[in-house]
Amino acid sequence: MTARLDLELAADPSALARLATTLETFGEANDLPTQAVLHLNLCLDELITNIISYAYEAPAGHRIQLDLVLEGGLLRGELTDDGRPFNPLQAPAPDLDADLDQRRIGGLGIHFVKTLMDHVDYRRQAGLNRVTFQKRLSG
Amino acid sequence: MNLRTDTSGDIEILIPSGRLDSTTAPTFEKALLAYFEGRPARVLVDFDELEYISSAGLRVILMAAKRAKQSGGGFVLCGLHENIREVFEISGFLSILNVSDGRDEALARLAPT
Repeated sequence: MTARLDLELAADPSALARLATTLETFGEANDLPTQAVLHLNLCLDELITNIISYAYEAPAGHRIQLDLVLEGGLLRGELTDDGRPFNPLQAPAPDLDADLDQRRIGGLGIHFVKTLMDHVDYRRQAGLNRVTFQKRLSG
Repeated sequence: MNLRTDTSGDIEILIPSGRLDSTTAPTFEKALLAYFEGRPARVLVDFDELEYISSAGLRVILMAAKRAKQSGGGFVLCGLHENIREVFEISGFLSILNVSDGRDEALARLAPT
């Protein structure tokens, strides 16, 4: 059985609430583990927040496209935006061993994506940023 | 996100509920960091009613912990549910922050010795 989600989000802060409710509904409809839905939500929140914060001179009018395909316990997805070229995977990794004084603020969002997804890729294609990801949900 | 506040003696208690993400973190930041302005405050954040936290919320927590240390105050977290705790763990925050299970234990940790 294959389930699909096709969601177009406005590139503004309303996107996060809409993402959360849409993923919750998708998770319930497809009997996905609560924790997997939460991880997916967190990763997409971080990627979308990055896009809204950095991709545009002015985010008004821009859209972010999310496509998900669930097949045989494997969730594959793609997040697309038309902002300036930006590879979020190049963000420096946080120093998890630093003490409180040395620990720098920031860099955690992409760390979550790299930790919680099984596979993440970025490419710039036809004027669009495309982040693809995979997460194995069972087996 | 909603924010409630409480006090116990001179310990300030902040209780966020709902979702702490990049849209709600600025409100949380303003409320939390205000405690540390010009004084060594002792602050407890009780996460018992929090459903979700992203890196935007963790950023505020880290800033507050740094300010508390620099000013000689105190900063303790409690009530982290499993999904919130997991995000703290992945962030490496459990080893650099003061995290207690329940509110009583957290208050005891903040009490003057």
